[in-house]
Amino acid sequence: MNQKRHMGLKALNRASNTAIYILLIIISVVWLIPFVFILLQSFRVESTYQVGYVIPHQWGWQNYINLWNSDFKRWYLNTFIIALASAVLVTVIQLCMSYTLSRFRFKLRGPLMRFMLILGMFPGMLTMIILYRVLSDLGLTQANAVPGLILVGVASSGMGYYVSKGFFDTIPKSLDEAARVDGATRFQVLYKIILPLSKPIVIYTILTAFMGPWGDYVFARYVAMGTSAGYNVAVGMYSWLTNDQIARMYTTFCAGGVIVAVPVTILFLCLQKYYVEGVTGGAVKG
Amino acid sequence: MKQYSDLEYLRLSKGQKFTYKLTSFFTAIPRGIGHFFANIGLYIKKGVTGVGSELKDIGSTFVNGDWKTKTSFVVMGFGNLARGQILRGLLFLFFEVVFIAYMIFGGAHWMSMVPSLGKVGPSNEYDPVLDIYTTVYNDNSFKILLYGVLTIFFIVAFIYTWRVNVRQNKIMEQILRSGKKLKADKDDLRSMVDENFHATLLALPMTGILVFTVMPIVFMILVAFTNYDGSHNGYSNNLFTWVGLDNFNTLFSWTGGAGGGQSYSATFGEILAWTLIWAFLATFTNYFLGMFVAMMINKKGIHLKKVWRTVLVMTIAIPQFISLLYVSKMFARNGLINLSLMDLGWIKQPLPFWEDATWARVTVVLINIWIGIPHLMLITTGILMNIPADLYESARIDGANAWQQYRKITLPYMLFITGPYLLTSFTGNMNNFNVIYLLTGGAPTNPAASGAAGSVGYTDLLITWLFKITTGADSQYYLASVVGIMVFVVVAFISLVVYNVLPSIKNEEDYQ
Amino acid sequence: MASVKLTKVKKIYDNNVVAVHDFDLDIHDKEFVVFVGPSGCGKSTTLRMIAGLEDISEGTVEIDGEVVNDLQPKDRGIAMVFQNYALYPHMTVYDNIAFSLRLNKVPEDVVYEKVTKAAGVLGITEYLMRKPRALSGGQRQRVAIGRAMVRDSKVFLMDEPLSNLDAKLRNQMRAEIILLRQKLDTTFIYVTHDQTEAMTLGDRIVIMKDGYIMQVGTPTEVFEMPENLFVAEFIGAPKMNIVKTNLVKEGSQYFVTPFGAKIPVTGEKGKLLAEKNVQSQEILLGVRPEHMVLGSEGQTSIPCKLVVNEMMGSEFHLHADTADGSRLIVRVPTIDLDKEGRSALVGGHDLHVTFEGKAMHFFDPSTEKNLLV
Repeated sequence: MNQKRHMGLKALNRASNTAIYILLIIISVVWLIPFVFILLQSFRVESTYQVGYVIPHQWGWQNYINLWNSDFKRWYLNTFIIALASAVLVTVIQLCMSYTLSRFRFKLRGPLMRFMLILGMFPGMLTMIILYRVLSDLGLTQANAVPGLILVGVASSGMGYYVSKGFFDTIPKSLDEAARVDGATRFQVLYKIILPLSKPIVIYTILTAFMGPWGDYVFARYVAMGTSAGYNVAVGMYSWLTNDQIARMYTTFCAGGVIVAVPVTILFLCLQKYYVEGVTGGAVKG
Repeated sequence: MKQYSDLEYLRLSKGQKFTYKLTSFFTAIPRGIGHFFANIGLYIKKGVTGVGSELKDIGSTFVNGDWKTKTSFVVMGFGNLARGQILRGLLFLFFEVVFIAYMIFGGAHWMSMVPSLGKVGPSNEYDPVLDIYTTVYNDNSFKILLYGVLTIFFIVAFIYTWRVNVRQNKIMEQILRSGKKLKADKDDLRSMVDENFHATLLALPMTGILVFTVMPIVFMILVAFTNYDGSHNGYSNNLFTWVGLDNFNTLFSWTGGAGGGQSYSATFGEILAWTLIWAFLATFTNYFLGMFVAMMINKKGIHLKKVWRTVLVMTIAIPQFISLLYVSKMFARNGLINLSLMDLGWIKQPLPFWEDATWARVTVVLINIWIGIPHLMLITTGILMNIPADLYESARIDGANAWQQYRKITLPYMLFITGPYLLTSFTGNMNNFNVIYLLTGGAPTNPAASGAAGSVGYTDLLITWLFKITTGADSQYYLASVVGIMVFVVVAFISLVVYNVLPSIKNEEDYQ
Repeated sequence: MASVKLTKVKKIYDNNVVAVHDFDLDIHDKEFVVFVGPSGCGKSTTLRMIAGLEDISEGTVEIDGEVVNDLQPKDRGIAMVFQNYALYPHMTVYDNIAFSLRLNKVPEDVVYEKVTKAAGVLGITEYLMRKPRALSGGQRQRVAIGRAMVRDSKVFLMDEPLSNLDAKLRNQMRAEIILLRQKLDTTFIYVTHDQTEAMTLGDRIVIMKDGYIMQVGTPTEVFEMPENLFVAEFIGAPKMNIVKTNLVKEGSQYFVTPFGAKIPVTGEKGKLLAEKNVQSQEILLGVRPEHMVLGSEGQTSIPCKLVVNEMMGSEFHLHADTADGSRLIVRVPTIDLDKEGRSALVGGHDLHVTFEGKAMHFFDPSTEKNLLV
């Protein structure tokens, strides 16, 4: 009797594992297939509009050549500059903020955190109108949208301190204390003890700050206000899928998607380890 | 409601336990809200008494202070300069000079205009030299409001700095009287990387938040009390002005809106309902399915764990606008899915993914699952692996099967740890602009609601509606502000209830 | 090299919880003082206020006559060993120990000399190039001590340094701390919750409870003359037996009457009672388990029933219930019992417990203070 149950358990386990493998394969296919489609369609040259098949009848580089001849280069450069600048500046600001809120106990700390929590409940969209007007008074809209977008993106990034604060909270406070007894100033504690231990969260912050601008759409569109020279890739490529352009530009959009996605994805996969650590270490604790 | 003691509770039947818990949950809500308002009252009381004692302290500082202190009441930083703290003194003095200059050369002017938001709009004037009429622009309501807000910020900052200046004099006198030495400039600079390092670190981020988040929000809250819109842009066509609570009345009135459509409040209610349903579905489908996928990958005996994980994680890297736009077009009337299904002869008519309200709503939720699962998989994987293995071992010895282990161990543990995350995720989904806007743009159009403001669709969330209001033909900024404030109220209400009722919101320090 | 003086030191947290009340203590140069008490008694908080890691709400802390309230930890001339070692995980053992020296811009060859010397003393020379995570608990503890040693500080602070070690290692490290103290010859302040550590290490012990000092004294003083019930129960293991009973004065002779017995108070204790002219009254009587002996039925013994018998090796701990159900613990050296006597000590056996008059402690039932202090 006992023996039988034992065998049954094993068989059951095998069956459930098989079911899981099947499910996982289905999931992988479902999750990857749109990206495979984009890649395939970017090489389709017989037509530029949406069709009912996936494998191109005629292969070619025409879509990529179209891309090269369009404003896409400019958009790509714009986005790249924004991404690079925010990767540096946002990281500095967020780390300053989260380190301070994790490590220092000053009088205004509690009220400050509560204040930012409340501030975060206002839809950010609301502030776009005025920020646009302010930027336009400063001459940082339309063709000059890039510095304007960097300014606004960086300026309010301090609010996103939760994840890295969660990480800093996991570093024992006694390390700070030991270092302070050892003669380190607060700055030296940060520089010599905490930062070397925070590699995962620093890389995570850089990575997310770099990736953010690639998908930034709403405000970027607002600030560029129809001036192609100020577009980023999202705004520019969105315009290709509007009703009057999609028939001509659909496959070019696919090619652009590939050009945008591939470098970011490669970078991401290289640093995947840190991203996972950041998400699992900091995000949940918030 | 009757309160049970622990032992009494244990004797209740299952149904009674459930009703007891449910009622105590709901009775806790008003208590939580009451608590909130009591707290607000407490803060106000604290603030009033605080101001009183501050004033008293300022008075006594003046009466008891020496001539250096007294001079500092007018010339900020004088006390510091006279007592050898050159650096601090110069900073105070500099701030005062800048403030006075600003007030003289603009601040006072803008402040005086705030009550009216401008008196003279643009006018056509005859130019006798050129013999034509030219438009002369006069007051600018937008700038008046903007600089008015800025000036108020500046005045508050000045009062605060002045107060610090006075207090410093008092402290300096105390230190000198007790025979000790004042801090030298050198010490002040050194303390910026040590005792006061937090102030140094926060200076830049907080300035950014103040200027680019707080000020705009204050501004936009004020806009809700004006008639600022496309035809009252405050400069080139008409000035805008204060209208009191009119806009709130408009939003909450039950009479029909412009163009014979339904009332604003009905439209608002419809969109709010869908926003809440969406946020609920989006949060919990992702949460449970993500956990499910994570558990499948984590299961003992499953190989290639890294591969499965990487496949999913990779999709996070691809910018959302690409995947969302592409998928949106895939499901379009003449998109890949409809075309290929028709080619295969499985359907005759295209499926109305984006044309039918229910289809569109379901599709949006499904695609959101596709977007969200990888992220949730990552988060839950980390927590799942942290559940102590001996919990499962002891459960297995107690005879729990896989489902019972999940129900009794995994799920409670997960919910406990991720409680705060679920809340932020819920409010985040309420404001999930990208997914809705890039997938449907709010479509399909809701003809009844669209009369009110902008073209409202069945998948529109409050946040996309707000966006449409500001970018539509008449750009009803004032209405957008009111809607924005309402979004805040809803989000704050939900957060408040959850924070006060859920026991699992833990003390922050417990983690450290 | 330095004295430490705490005057009316108080710690009030933001939520108005008072962690330490008016703490007054004079620590002499080169003294080894131990703060001991149950968790939450404020001992660590006090230590951290001396270190400068915690703000002092009221009162002053002086080191070597200088008020240090407003000084940063690094400027107070202290070194500290933390409970969880607090080794910098990204640095080697050598770099860990050298960290403070390098911050003070000590020349690298002096650093080398000092670090290797400390490592030699602590026996960790062969681990100098390892990272902390590759070390065992005991080795990490040594590194933490080494890090504090090289600072040549005036005061050496230790916050529960042994509590993360297993029992055997703890005994060994305790002995090493005594040796270290002889070598360093500086002022030590040591925090622990373990009364054994406190007794073996301290020149003086400060026993704390709920933020108050309960008693300050040498190990002998606190053991022999606990000022109050708390100290009496906290010091010594197993803890002192406490019985509510009466003190009876008959002429110049005092008696206690627990559970119908009548036991005379003799020796020093009787004399002290007479000196203080204590009258007949209800008291809490305390007798340490090791001072209780098994006797025969009679006027001077308490009848009780054996419940549990713990064999500890060198001694038996007998847990026995008296007629009213209160529990007494009696320590009987193994060597005092023959085979027959041992076999009789099983649950349910009737015992008669007695003790000598000089072993008694008398506490006021309401104030819980020792009547003889």
